[in-house]
Amino acid sequence: MQRFDPISLKILWDRLVSIADEVVLSLVRTSFSINVREGYDLSCILFDHRGRMIAQGNYSVPSFTGTAPQTLAHMLRDCPPETLSPGDIVMTNDPWMGTGHLFDINVMRPVFRGDRLVGYTMSVTHLPDIGGAGMSSTCTEVYQEGLRFPVCKLAEKARMNQMILDLVRMNVRVPEQVIGDIMANVSCNEVGGRALLEFMDEYGLEELSGLSDAINDHAAAAMREEIATIPDGVYENAIQIEGIEAPIELAARIEVRGPDIAIDFTGTGGPVRASINVPFCYTQAQSYYVVKCLTIPSLPNNEGAVRHIAVTAPEDCILNAQPPWPTGGRHSVGHFIVPLLMGAMEQALPERVQADVSMMNVFSVKGHHRDGEEISSLFFLAGGFGALSGIDGRAVTPAPSNMTVVPTEIWENLTSMTVEKREILADSGGPGTWRGGSGQETVFRNDTGNLLDLALMGQRTEFPARGFAGGGDGALRRYLREGGEVDGKGRILLAPGDSVVMHEAGGGGFGDPLQRDLVEVQRDLDDGHVTAAGATRDYGCVVGAAGVIDAAATHDLRASRAGK
Amino acid sequence: MGYRLGVDIGGTFTDFALIDDESGRLTVYKQLTTPDDPARAVLEGLQAMLARDSVDIARLTSVIHGTTLVTNAVIERKGAPTGMLVSRGFRDVLDIAMERRYDLFDLRLVFAEPVVPRALRREVSERRAFDGTVMELLDTEGAVAAARDLVENRGIEALAICFLHSYADDSHEVAARDAVRAAFPDLFVTASSEVLPFMREYERWSTTTVNAYVQPLTNLYLSHLEAGLAGLGFQGSFLIMTSSGGTVTADTARRFPVRLIESGPAAGALMAALLGEMLAEPELLSFDMGGTTAKGALIRDGAPLRKYELEVARVHDFKAGSGVPLRIPVIDMIEIGAGGGSIAHVDERRLLAVGPRSAGADPGPACYGRGGAAATLTDANLALGYLVPEQFLGGRMALDPAAAERALDDGVGGPLEVASTRAAWGIHEVINEDVARAFREHASEIGFDYRQSAMVAFGGSGPMHALRIARKLRIPKVVFPAGAGVMSAIGLLATPLSFASLRSAPARLARLDANALTAGFAPLLDQARAQLGAAGIAGDALVLTRRLDMRYVGQGYEVEVELPEALAADAALARLPALFQTAYEAVFATSFLENEIEIVNWKVEARGPLPDLARNYRQPDIGARAAQDYPNTTVYFPERDEHLACPVLDRYALAPGAEVEGPALIQEDESTSVLGPGERATVDAYGNLIAELAEG
Repeated sequence: MQRFDPISLKILWDRLVSIADEVVLSLVRTSFSINVREGYDLSCILFDHRGRMIAQGNYSVPSFTGTAPQTLAHMLRDCPPETLSPGDIVMTNDPWMGTGHLFDINVMRPVFRGDRLVGYTMSVTHLPDIGGAGMSSTCTEVYQEGLRFPVCKLAEKARMNQMILDLVRMNVRVPEQVIGDIMANVSCNEVGGRALLEFMDEYGLEELSGLSDAINDHAAAAMREEIATIPDGVYENAIQIEGIEAPIELAARIEVRGPDIAIDFTGTGGPVRASINVPFCYTQAQSYYVVKCLTIPSLPNNEGAVRHIAVTAPEDCILNAQPPWPTGGRHSVGHFIVPLLMGAMEQALPERVQADVSMMNVFSVKGHHRDGEEISSLFFLAGGFGALSGIDGRAVTPAPSNMTVVPTEIWENLTSMTVEKREILADSGGPGTWRGGSGQETVFRNDTGNLLDLALMGQRTEFPARGFAGGGDGALRRYLREGGEVDGKGRILLAPGDSVVMHEAGGGGFGDPLQRDLVEVQRDLDDGHVTAAGATRDYGCVVGAAGVIDAAATHDLRASRAGK
Repeated sequence: MGYRLGVDIGGTFTDFALIDDESGRLTVYKQLTTPDDPARAVLEGLQAMLARDSVDIARLTSVIHGTTLVTNAVIERKGAPTGMLVSRGFRDVLDIAMERRYDLFDLRLVFAEPVVPRALRREVSERRAFDGTVMELLDTEGAVAAARDLVENRGIEALAICFLHSYADDSHEVAARDAVRAAFPDLFVTASSEVLPFMREYERWSTTTVNAYVQPLTNLYLSHLEAGLAGLGFQGSFLIMTSSGGTVTADTARRFPVRLIESGPAAGALMAALLGEMLAEPELLSFDMGGTTAKGALIRDGAPLRKYELEVARVHDFKAGSGVPLRIPVIDMIEIGAGGGSIAHVDERRLLAVGPRSAGADPGPACYGRGGAAATLTDANLALGYLVPEQFLGGRMALDPAAAERALDDGVGGPLEVASTRAAWGIHEVINEDVARAFREHASEIGFDYRQSAMVAFGGSGPMHALRIARKLRIPKVVFPAGAGVMSAIGLLATPLSFASLRSAPARLARLDANALTAGFAPLLDQARAQLGAAGIAGDALVLTRRLDMRYVGQGYEVEVELPEALAADAALARLPALFQTAYEAVFATSFLENEIEIVNWKVEARGPLPDLARNYRQPDIGARAAQDYPNTTVYFPERDEHLACPVLDRYALAPGAEVEGPALIQEDESTSVLGPGERATVDAYGNLIAELAEG
């Protein structure tokens, strides 16, 4: 076996990650999907000829952490290596082989050096549409959610399979964009393959497996060392989250033994008749993500990085939903794996865990402009980030996935709605020595002159982001209109001139709020994160008329509260 | 004809480049920067240089100035106490910001604080709709009262006025600005619609607040310099370099100081483009590496690529997303935290990492002997023999090789169990990889094929790394310009007066007629003509370029389309769909979509005549002095895995036509060019050292 000293290993490893990043960038540049462009809802991966993952682009969202090796294994089972030729392109969007829902297309290309297979490249992107009812929560089976492709050859020896493209074209709403995005995947894999071959030429490598082993073994060793510093033990957590008809139970048991972590989801509730079921690949990805955040966040994703992490879930639970359960919105349950596991590790790694995050608020708006033109758009709003020991949660910061602000000026142009207000929501962050991130208040008015239909998909409306280590919970997400509160998963029909108010949830706090530094509380008062009443109620601070904390009186108040 | 002087303030030195426009003779000069009062070094250096070259200041027709003043003020938060008036309901736009994480795995990520704290922001009753129509009239008295509160109770010296949709109609902002100015004549007031009427409130307002924040100190500084220059008898024009690669008058700089950010690197990129023109290399990579950062720019068809976005003052390892976003016209530059001071360490992956933390100039690399213990890139380059200890900075500063070796062993070699030479090579090569990666990724982002292009390498550390980086990128040619240490100052002499601006005004092509097309550009053209007219440029001397950001309706991604010069409005309108399609295909490589097209942003760039530096250019005269006869040294090359005997040549003694064969070090005062075994370079007629790389 080839040997690589730490210097060579560093240089060659980083170059491979850089090639994967380059593939990502060329994919982003040529993609039509807003999810890909703004949210990096994509992944690019390099493998050696045995299908062992060597590198993944840095920019992917957590749901793609370490899923690709299984996807490739499924592909190679149906299209074995000896049946592959240069110019072949293999694809699937099967939720159980890929990344959990039909929207994600997985495209693979074998890399040949001469006539010898030396590796594979793969890309995954969220397509703009996949036909069917899409992400509608009314689906009860995957069959309603759109086209489902088994592992198939999109191209054979560089000849595109026209049948597959025609099938897509006839079944989706925006065919040019969907076909464009599929072709963007095809061409980015060509970029990746070419770069991989040049890399091998430059460093005189006949094959990648020796280097692949060195990289993966090194990553595994680093992880092993890091996991070994976590106290051995069994750590458990169970939470409830908002479901469609009834709350959903999520449970996890984490066993840390020396260099190994085993995560199991026994105790989790069963699948539901809505598009929020989670295929296991997605559960596994979110689990890997949490372990990575808690151990070596900067470690590039590869097979070795997850070698010491075992994830299991019973087949009858919502985190291992089997076909044909619908899965289009699998993230709305799957994202809670992050706070579930963080909570389990609170005792073991108090200095590293993050208090609960507040999740995003995504809602769709359908209606018509004054001139009759159709309105159909998605709005995104972030709640507060969870606090960690030593650092406050930031206000309005998305987690565990990502998004980008919808500017008021853009939104009003797009929908002719009016945003009356966007404001940091005081007292919404969970109190703590380290305060949870604040949510925000947003007020929308229907100025379209027509009825507007808002479909809500809000979470944290019943179950708040919990504080850790004595920290308080964040405020709940709320939807208000004249006449009262609206169900967070319902619909709002907004008459012309009517307004709706949305309160984004706050993140959980960390540590005893009575221990919070007065300088910090004063800054929160000045910056609008905490009101005077909130400072007294949550932080035991006495605030004078000018909004300045009275240190002596606060000392006494805190002492009397601590005494109780 | 007279003389023109370029003055560029850097972290360590203030650089001067003087050209005699008649003969083309170019001379350079360096003076230590005076951080407490940067103008002092400018004025002292100017006098010393003119005295040395026997030039009467009365013969100086212009002084072109590049300064890091504004950049530093934002990074170090040394601007004025600044207030902000916003549309009611939108006080927190600067805190809500992008609602985006720039790193998904690092949960302890931090973001730059806004330059205007929340307590200094006030809401004003007013509101416009997206099409500019008034929904609520401006409460002018309320605006003045809010400003009064901020001035009298909060001591603000500058104010940013930021209302929603002011790109569509600026009259509320203008009315508020005028009323506040009338009440407080000494207050510096900036309205968001005058800085850049761009649609997206967070970025526009962020830009506006930074402009206000740096206005008082920029005004003071420029007045100080103008008075100083006048006192010395200077009667020519005083011009300031901007980040877009053009200069502006001092008055324009006072109104839009945010446009001065990153102007030094812009001048360097511009100079690289000029060299490309002289060498008939229209496609270039400009590579500049100094003490703390490396900067790169891609040059296509002879011009650096431009854009309208920039992020400054990044607070988290140079990561994009951790700084303050600005929308101003800029030369598109890559910045990475890689330079001579970059610190090498073993990271959490248990492997070598270099930077982005830097030892800076103080304490600096271990070999400076100023108390720095961390191993830096400069220590590695010294250990490899690429720096000769006795010749650093022209012999003005001794380096301590033993200290470098110790730091390399302690910081890298020991923990990773490799010899110190191997550690040093690793550090050198990691930086090469980092720079190559940044170029590769940027090229991939914008679809730029650099394989037939050349690289221009400059800055204190650039020429030491250039050939290795070029090999990684498969770039066949590297240019080591004469005067690599003062490229930005020379670049200032190549810069035209210019003014660029942009406004957002969405318009569907199908509903646009020729009059509307003309009207869309009119305010931008008026503004550009006024700005350059004030500097005496009009008529044929004024070059105007019109561009549009266009997209398919409903898509989030715009492509830029340039309108052919002097094309009448109706003809231009007819050509637009085809121009858009061509530009679109260049990006997406896809067939035409039958969707409706819309215009989003309108852009005008105006410039005066290009200074005639290219025709006149010749090797900078660094100062007559006898050729140095340096002894051989030993230098490490990985191909042989040992230190080889290597000649050291005096760059100033290499005449045009001279040929150099590697291994060789070519020494100039502020930088060293490294040629590996078998590599060849020749000196061209302008004094540039040019290396051609054979394939492989």
